[in-house]
Amino acid sequence: MDKKYLEEIEPGFSPLTIVEEASRCLLCLDAPCSKACPAGTNPDRFIRSVRFRNFKGAAEIVRENNALGAICARVCPTEKYCQKGCSRSGIDRPIDIGRIQRYITDFEENTKMKILASGKRNGKSVGIVGSGPAGLEAAYMLNKLGYDVTIYDKEKVAGGMLNFIPEYRLPNRVVVNEIKRLKDLGIKFELGVSVGVDLPLNELKSRHNAVILGVGYSYGKMLPAFEGNRNVILAVDLLKKIKARKGNVKLPENILVIGGGDVAMDVNTSLKLLDVNHVTDVVYEKFSEFKASKKELEGAQALGVTIIDGYVPEKVKGKTVTFKHREIDATIKVKADKIILAVGQRPDVTGLGVELVKGEVNEGTPYVTKDPKVFVAGDIANSKYDKTVVGSVRTGKEVALKVDEAIRSGRAK
Amino acid sequence: MINKDLSITFLGVKFPNPFCLSSSPVGNCYDMCKKAYQVGWGGVVFKTIGPKSYFIDEVSPRFDKLNKENTPFVGFKNMEQIAEHTLEENLRDLRKLKEEFPNQVLIASIMGNDEQTWEDLARMVTEAGADMIEMNLSCPQMTSHAMGSDVGTNPELCKKYCQAVKRGSSLPMMAKMTPNITDMVPVALACLEGGADGIAAINTIKSICNIDLDKKIGLPIVDGKSSISGYSGKAVKPVALRFIQQMRQDKRLKDVQISGIGGIETWEDAAEFILVGSRTLQVTTAIMQYGYRIVEDLKNGLMHYMEEQHVEHLEELVGLANKNIIPAENLNRDYIVRPEFDLDACVHCGRCYISCYDGGHQAIVWDEVNRTPSVNKDKCVGCLLCGHVCPVSAISKGEITIKPGRKQDPKKIRL
Ligand SMILES: Cc1cc2nc3c(=O)[nH]c(=O)nc-3n(C[C@H](O)[C@H](O)[C@H](O)COP(=O)(O)OP(=O)(O)OC[C@H]3O[C@@H](n4cnc5c(N)ncnc54)[C@H](O)[C@@H]3O)c2cc1C
Ligand SMILES: Cc1cc2nc3c(=O)[nH]c(=O)nc-3n(C[C@H](O)[C@H](O)[C@H](O)COP(=O)(O)O)c2cc1C
Ligand code: SF4
Ligand code: SF4
Ligand code: SF4
Repeated sequence: MDKKYLEEIEPGFSPLTIVEEASRCLLCLDAPCSKACPAGTNPDRFIRSVRFRNFKGAAEIVRENNALGAICARVCPTEKYCQKGCSRSGIDRPIDIGRIQRYITDFEENTKMKILASGKRNGKSVGIVGSGPAGLEAAYMLNKLGYDVTIYDKEKVAGGMLNFIPEYRLPNRVVVNEIKRLKDLGIKFELGVSVGVDLPLNELKSRHNAVILGVGYSYGKMLPAFEGNRNVILAVDLLKKIKARKGNVKLPENILVIGGGDVAMDVNTSLKLLDVNHVTDVVYEKFSEFKASKKELEGAQALGVTIIDGYVPEKVKGKTVTFKHREIDATIKVKADKIILAVGQRPDVTGLGVELVKGEVNEGTPYVTKDPKVFVAGDIANSKYDKTVVGSVRTGKEVALKVDEAIRSGRAK
Repeated sequence: MINKDLSITFLGVKFPNPFCLSSSPVGNCYDMCKKAYQVGWGGVVFKTIGPKSYFIDEVSPRFDKLNKENTPFVGFKNMEQIAEHTLEENLRDLRKLKEEFPNQVLIASIMGNDEQTWEDLARMVTEAGADMIEMNLSCPQMTSHAMGSDVGTNPELCKKYCQAVKRGSSLPMMAKMTPNITDMVPVALACLEGGADGIAAINTIKSICNIDLDKKIGLPIVDGKSSISGYSGKAVKPVALRFIQQMRQDKRLKDVQISGIGGIETWEDAAEFILVGSRTLQVTTAIMQYGYRIVEDLKNGLMHYMEEQHVEHLEELVGLANKNIIPAENLNRDYIVRPEFDLDACVHCGRCYISCYDGGHQAIVWDEVNRTPSVNKDKCVGCLLCGHVCPVSAISKGEITIKPGRKQDPKKIRL
């Protein structure tokens, strides 16, 4: 196997280039970058610390605001958030905030800084279902507020979808380190237990003063026409397998991908980095309406993925899929060794006592459910934040405050 | 976030942290000083207050800056004199500040034009509630030769005025030195003899920053003319450190308490001033460029440095470098250390070759095929100019050679 998949595709800054990049920052008044960070990490503040050569202080600012700071540094769609309104764009291009944050958190890791600290214990406890970004951030916040926290996950490895994001974008060691920092605070993990299936929710409620459901969109979506087809693999299942096996997965020569979001691009790029010869991606959306970020799309194309836009799958027979153009009279037929479906993810809340409306728990007020002891966060919460890592981090922060308030006021016991 | 005690006692006054505004427009009025205290500065040296009789009349514009490549504000030139507000306004502001911020230090900077005015000003600022007095003996662009650096280069006058201030006030007092002098020691000694309790150094350096090439006038242009005036900012740090070191090196001044000033921007600059013997630190230019907020990283960075150095009190760091800066004639001249190239880091630009050829000793051999440097040991004198120009720090100190006929153990040499 080629080691390209295992190497971060974007090079990090060096001690020289980090200073150059930080020097480009205009050190704005009421900095637009900070107003746009969903996690509330003030980029203007940590860039200023870098500018004034206070790397340790910069690390404190990132870390205390975001227990997943090193992850967000790599996977945040910064062009939608902090970098979007960057004043520097008025001169040339925005500051590369994600990469500055990455340098800072790498510095933190390399110098073995211990920044996070637990709060004074208050004798109360909270159980969290799901070890994705929302669960992890909520756990950090509640630990800081004095609660004993246990995170339950049906998987044997903590991290939720972070274990699906390909190695070249998010190295596993980064996720492991972030989780270790939380374990060092005394946050407990019970892995390999599916709540609602192996362990009844009521049991969890009796163990803890409150329960947070952060179960995410853990399953890939299937399309009816592909049901039961042995050649079909769901994108998230494939990505998870490739990452868990560090790229050591046997792949055929010719693969068809269906889907045009970021997950599809992750599949495309991963396959190419693993030297799959023919990767053909057929997408419902036209390029002008593409869902995937421009950067990921261009990255996949640069690696030689064939991307065909505007086509819908019409007929499936074994390894052959026939697509029709959405508007003009055109048909294409693709025969491949494997078919990867990247058409979205779905949640499953069986046994968790909540109902989903459009994939979200929606009780009018964010993060609450009908049960005063049970709360929700992350992708399944109805919040104003995007279904991204950083959006989930924000919901994790907010749900922690909600839980704290409910326990203090006696509404959750 | 790290939290360490940064407090330090200077001239008997306890500062919550060593960082102060230096006397200049950054501490020009009540609102400014209030904001500075709130952001976390440990002390304020209020803009120099002059005698009522001295009419302040400033020019416009009044600043210029030196750039190098993409870096503005390498140095900063100003044409300002002392406070433009009236004496009454200044005294009122001092009073209000002390009332509202009793735990942060308020220092009044004063400048008289004869013994009587020095004494009167000292008395007035003391009555207004200042914790300490700084005598401005050093502004280089006063319109009167009885004031500013013309006074500060004359030990006799300095002593006389210090005595006058001490007659007017029993507050702790520091005399602020001008660097426009070859040796600061005689002036500092004269001030201490006159009753000064400590020294502040440095004020600005007389300068011409730039000349307009079309108009043939120095900048800034004031109705077709310009003047020599004070230079500050990062570029003056080396000069300030040198003067402070020279004072601390003198036996008579070795324990003198110093407030360090000149080009402080980062916690690293601050630490350097402390290591050469400063107990408090004052800043102007970096605040003019970036704002009071820089104190956040100054304080936090200094706390981390203390942590790394395993130091609980800032005081323990004061002057630690003094003994390691010695006269040039006492340095070990028995060895040569030659450069070592890290060819994995090298980006093959050839800058080391150019500088060694044109500014060194033609000792770098350039492999034209691989575009890679190596050193010719016979020619290399070990000046390490190459290391300073390398853009990726790929050149470090390598092998040590003892000069012929000298007896030294290369292993004992501390690089
Ligand atoms: C391939 C891929 C790439 C992505 N790339 C990015 C990106 O670059 N940037 C970005 O911001 N976002 C990205 N996302 C989206 C992001 O990962 C999600 O928005 C985020 O992880 C949601 O967090 P969460 O905490 O809500 O849930 P998840 O991360 O989905 O975690 C939920 C956890 O709950 C567990 N769980 C579910 N049910 C149960 C149960 N009954 N009992 C116990 N445990 C249970 C699951 O096993 C899982 O570990 C990507 C997603 C995918 C799939
Ligand atoms: C615009 C300006 C005005 C100044 N005015 C005064 C003054 O009134 N009194 C004084 O003692 N020093 C004055 N200074 C000197 C500063 O206090 C300080 O000693 C000098 O600028 C070096 O520090 P820096 O490099 O941090 O600016 C002034 C400096 C500047 C730039
Ligand atoms: S908006 Fe851009 S230029 Fe302004 S502070 Fe933020 S990163 Fe710097
Ligand atoms: S140390 Fe000086 S002489 Fe030797 S190679 Fe470098 S620049 Fe040339
Ligand atoms: S200056 Fe540095 S990077 Fe350039 S050739 Fe010399 S060693 Fe290599």
